[in-house]
Amino acid sequence: MSMSPAARKWGRVAAWVITFAVICALPLMLPAFRVDQIAIWMTLAMAACGLNLLTGYNGQISVGHGALYGAGAYATAIFMVKVGWPMFPAALIAVVISFLLGIAIGLPALRIKGLYLALVTLAVAVLFPLVIEQFSSITGGGAGLTITTPQVNRRGAVVDQKIEFGDMAGLKGDQVRYFLVLAIAVVCFVLARNLVKSRVGRSLVAIRDNETAASVSGVPVSLVKILTFGVSSAMAGLGGAMYALVNGQVNLTSFTIALSISLLVAVVVGGASSIIGPAIGAVLLGAFNDFVTLPEGLAGAKPVVLGAILILLMFFAPGGLVGLYKTTMAKRAGRQARGDGGEPAVPSAFAAEQLAP
Amino acid sequence: MKKSTLKRSFAVMLAAGVLAAGCSRTDSTTTGSPTGTGATGASTPSGGTASGPFIDPAADCKDYKGTAGITGDTIKIGTIRPASGPYAIYDQVTAGMEAYFKAKNAAGGIKAGDGKSYKVELIKGDDGYDPGKTLAEAKKLVEQEGVFALAGVIGTEGNLAIRQYMNDNCIPNVSLATGSPEWGAADKYPWYMSALASYATEAHAWAELIKKEKPEAKVALLYQDDDFGKSYQSAFKKAIEGSKITVVKEQSFNPLSGGTTEAAVTSLSQSGADTFIVGIGGTPCPQTLKFMPDTWKPMTFISITCQSKIALSLAGGKDLGVYSAQVTYDASDPADKDNPKVKAFVTEGAAGGLSQTQIEGGISSAGWGFAALFAKSLEDSKTVDRAGITNTLFSLKNTTFGLLREGVTVNTNGATDPWPVEGFRMVQRTADGWKEIVPVTNYEGQSNSFAAKG
Repeated sequence: MSMSPAARKWGRVAAWVITFAVICALPLMLPAFRVDQIAIWMTLAMAACGLNLLTGYNGQISVGHGALYGAGAYATAIFMVKVGWPMFPAALIAVVISFLLGIAIGLPALRIKGLYLALVTLAVAVLFPLVIEQFSSITGGGAGLTITTPQVNRRGAVVDQKIEFGDMAGLKGDQVRYFLVLAIAVVCFVLARNLVKSRVGRSLVAIRDNETAASVSGVPVSLVKILTFGVSSAMAGLGGAMYALVNGQVNLTSFTIALSISLLVAVVVGGASSIIGPAIGAVLLGAFNDFVTLPEGLAGAKPVVLGAILILLMFFAPGGLVGLYKTTMAKRAGRQARGDGGEPAVPSAFAAEQLAP
Repeated sequence: MKKSTLKRSFAVMLAAGVLAAGCSRTDSTTTGSPTGTGATGASTPSGGTASGPFIDPAADCKDYKGTAGITGDTIKIGTIRPASGPYAIYDQVTAGMEAYFKAKNAAGGIKAGDGKSYKVELIKGDDGYDPGKTLAEAKKLVEQEGVFALAGVIGTEGNLAIRQYMNDNCIPNVSLATGSPEWGAADKYPWYMSALASYATEAHAWAELIKKEKPEAKVALLYQDDDFGKSYQSAFKKAIEGSKITVVKEQSFNPLSGGTTEAAVTSLSQSGADTFIVGIGGTPCPQTLKFMPDTWKPMTFISITCQSKIALSLAGGKDLGVYSAQVTYDASDPADKDNPKVKAFVTEGAAGGLSQTQIEGGISSAGWGFAALFAKSLEDSKTVDRAGITNTLFSLKNTTFGLLREGVTVNTNGATDPWPVEGFRMVQRTADGWKEIVPVTNYEGQSNSFAAKG
């Protein structure tokens, strides 16, 4: 049952179309709060994609991307509520701020590597909620910030009115938010893919694999590393900004170290060094957090269940889900090649390895 | 080759997206609206004052679903509390609410002002005391479970996190298990009502007592570094303005830090203060008492949220002699045991499934009261819908609910008096219970004026 290359190609197109049709159909069928939840997974996927550029492709470990995501969310909320900017300029400035923050955090990364860099970024993750709390007059402190604008109600009281995407083109507010985030996420992932396939992408990988060799080959190591940190942070910040717009409020407890770790988990589960992997990871993690409910008495055991799943997954699919898929496909191609006695239909390096005596 | 495939599939994806965007969802997905487009007819709320009803959904609400969550004679309501994590002790409050409704349902339901008897079904959400999760829980309760209202939601910051959402959707969030002065803003957020006294009123009462007993008191002030603690801090400072009482030292405690109040207490104990205000909640409150050095014997005040038997049992005996404001009867206090309200609570609570420890613990009894206030809103409403019960709550006249002490009057009047509970007596902890120091005093209609603005 070997497939011709053309059939395989059309199979892949069909798979993409079905996936995308499902993604587009979901908000038309689910209740509003579920639609918002899924939109939030997509914002996490953007942050995970940024983290993957840094960690998966460039080999710099960051345990602080939750803080950058939070910075994007808080910057958006603060510029909208305290400065009175409209949503999109506020989101844009949030991305710029996250980029600059990333550059600032990336500077020490020129000297500090591996585990030590992880520790520096860990400090960022831990400090972030405390900093937010410290400046409670701007950030709202423990009560958080709700994205609102003051308006006078019929009792003459000035009431905060929520700013959000209203109904548009026959879609409800939650659906507008969903498709907007989806569009931005798709653009993000396409850009990330192009970046990775480009010369810059090759230099990212070269630095990860051997910094000295990359330097000798003419890669401007410091510049690339810092810019990667910046771009990666900007993507996390963009995710955060979108989160703020979807959720309508920000709260410091949403951006603790746990979020940073979740982002790393999303990258690893989906498959580091693949573009779509972190998105799959983020969505699965989001689904686990929001859709899986353990009985009341066992609710505290949820992290344990997640941990157990992760251990099993890492045991059976050390390359993440995308890695697992690639291995399976290569093995099948190898089996087919042996069965048919002909050439493997997809000549990949991996399949060739499998076939080697 | 591969590239063009990707490009092509991307184009197909976009096309599919545009197609999908074209069709719009049939709106059966927003759950909990048995009346569908029924904003009409529900705009005749009861319980209005002479100048008309406090809430008029026709003018206040965009998409009003007055009877969502009511099916036949069953009203589904929701609550959010920490069932896990370090604040899980507050789950006892919810246990008290559940017991109340269970007992009433078994006895045929709550007889509402419209002549029908309703059974109340309580759906519980768990936010782990994390305000970042409260909104998602509230949306789930409203949009998936289709609850009629929320009641007894725990935590000042969690309630703040969902205030905009509840207000925008015109859904009552009543019997709040917090006394933040924020809940006094009924002109802005008319769907919110606390079942506790305002923390500002409490702080004011402390100051009154100190003025009488120690007119030149030197005060050490410890407060939780959030809205809860700062309410006490700012209201107390406002209350002592113009007196000879001085705050000699202040310390804040950050509950997020994971640390204890020990260092703060030690430092305060060396300030030369003769009065100690503990604006701390949860288990850190009794722990604070425990950390007080034996050599320091100030006149100590604790929050109303800290005076339960369960909490004070963690103080290592250092709770003896502390002062507090008391609103309700205490089932563990021998002096209150024979009160008819307490007796009824003990029998009905047991029928509702509370254990002896829960009945005497002082936390479930608070939840019992929160449920009773919600029941009150049904009992007094001629029209049982969201605006109807809220308007009832905002026009209560000389009534009582739950385990409120004799003499604590319950009166509300829209935004001018949004606090049902504004009275308490001052008590001092003794080995066998509470000793009355100042009899019940009502600060009717004044709670908002005690809160420090800004």
